[in-house]
Amino acid sequence: MAVITIDGLTKRFGNIVAVDDLSFAVDQGTVVGFLGPNGAGKTTTLRTLLGLVTPTAGSARIDGKPYRALADPIRHVGAVLEASSFHPGRSARHHLRVVATAAGLPLARVDQVLDQVALTQAAHRRVGGFSLGMRQRLGLATALLGDPQVLILDEPANGLDPEGVHWLRGLLRQLADQGHTVLVSSHVLAEVAQTVDQVVIIASGRLVTQSTLAALTARTDQLVRVRTPQAETLRSLLAAQGIQANPDGADQLLVIGATTETVGQTAAAAGIVIYEMGAERSNLEDVFLQLTSQQGAGS
Amino acid sequence: MIRLVRAEFTKLRTTRLIYGMAAVMAAFAVLTVAANILDRQGAPPLAADSLPMLVGGPVTLLSGAALLLGILGMAGEFRHQTVTQTFLVTPDRGRVVAAKLVAYPLAGIALALSILAFTAAVATGWLAAKGITPSLLDARLGRVLLGAVLAAGLCGLVGVGVAALVRNQVAALVGVLVWVLLVEGLLMSLLNPPSLGKWLPSAAAAALTNPGGGQLSRLAGTLLLAGYALALALAGTRLVVRRDIT
Repeated sequence: MAVITIDGLTKRFGNIVAVDDLSFAVDQGTVVGFLGPNGAGKTTTLRTLLGLVTPTAGSARIDGKPYRALADPIRHVGAVLEASSFHPGRSARHHLRVVATAAGLPLARVDQVLDQVALTQAAHRRVGGFSLGMRQRLGLATALLGDPQVLILDEPANGLDPEGVHWLRGLLRQLADQGHTVLVSSHVLAEVAQTVDQVVIIASGRLVTQSTLAALTARTDQLVRVRTPQAETLRSLLAAQGIQANPDGADQLLVIGATTETVGQTAAAAGIVIYEMGAERSNLEDVFLQLTSQQGAGS
Repeated sequence: MIRLVRAEFTKLRTTRLIYGMAAVMAAFAVLTVAANILDRQGAPPLAADSLPMLVGGPVTLLSGAALLLGILGMAGEFRHQTVTQTFLVTPDRGRVVAAKLVAYPLAGIALALSILAFTAAVATGWLAAKGITPSLLDARLGRVLLGAVLAAGLCGLVGVGVAALVRNQVAALVGVLVWVLLVEGLLMSLLNPPSLGKWLPSAAAAALTNPGGGQLSRLAGTLLLAGYALALALAGTRLVVRRDIT
């Protein structure tokens, strides 16, 4: 069952189209990575989903309703947006008390979530003196306050040190294991690749692909790196067989989607000297970059 | 709605703003009492009935403080981007503004009453040191307090309304200062007949704190200032509800 439904969503700011006819859905209990380069429209999409931005066309719904129509939104949906939205003069604990009071949540939840994000030690310090990582933790604590089933996280790994990223992955995995539905945005696939079931990739406000992580991994290519003094000759011979090869330096070729056997036989048949040859695989990040740059160039 | 008002009070109690303002107002109150007691040129000598005059010293500034509280309470949310979290908890933005329209006038009144109580204590002590025993059961003292409460409450309301309309904290503060110090003065000099000036917001506020002269009655002043405040608040709320929070 779809918990989050984005349907034909378009948002224009003046002449700028931030989100362009975007549609995708997030099923209950899944962890979905919402990916795209900076400026792709991720934040605008999430803010529209959270009722902060009014769409120009289309809709963004949670459990079939716009966020603004949810009866007790914070018990239902937890959100972490940018890390700066705290009053610098208020302590972490007081920030959470304000939210708990407005939402009618028991104040005992404040200490529980502070403990959950390991901020108990800093609870009484003013947020103005917090590092970016601590603010992200406080943001997560705020999101968890209402014990929601759905979590929407906008670039939660921004500003976290490697230890913090590791901690965040653990938290996301824990939430996933408990059956939470999580939509987490990032501009770096590697940040979320270990945690998500699915990815939604957008570029220039448009959907590039929605697929499982496994399907995305299957799109990675077999690569063969060849070092030869006759790189150009080999390239045209491969091209004649419909195999793409890109020059990589003066005497190197990067052959896409072919095996070392094919390249070796082609070279031997033409008497081409090979100094070095090895098989490689492109990684997820390459696929991600390729997908998003194609879309970007097309618009 | 009650929990939203309580959340606003929690916001107010958990930053240093209100304590700093109280300290500044208390210091100013002592100054006005000192000035009114020490500088008696052309004024009647101090007597048992001088207390209302002494207590009334900081009233105008306290209205200004309530205005400031209202502006900072509303525009501060935009300045620190806490409005995002506020609207995530309460997506019905009209209720958020309504809670602020209740909370900040009440806070302004509480601040005004505590400072006036402090002022009364300082003035009573000072008069006692001069061998004068003022009566606290003075009807004029009651009128000073009533005027202060009305003015502080309504100015708090105006502050929230202006800030909802302008959203930018600096712009709201500068705008109010320019209005009070320049625009109203200019309008006063242009208005024909000049008695139309009594319908301006500052004159309406003055009718609450210093009734008499060519001003409106206290009741009319209250209604007029409340009208200005509600018009600003309604227009501001409409904008806040519609605009994107990016």
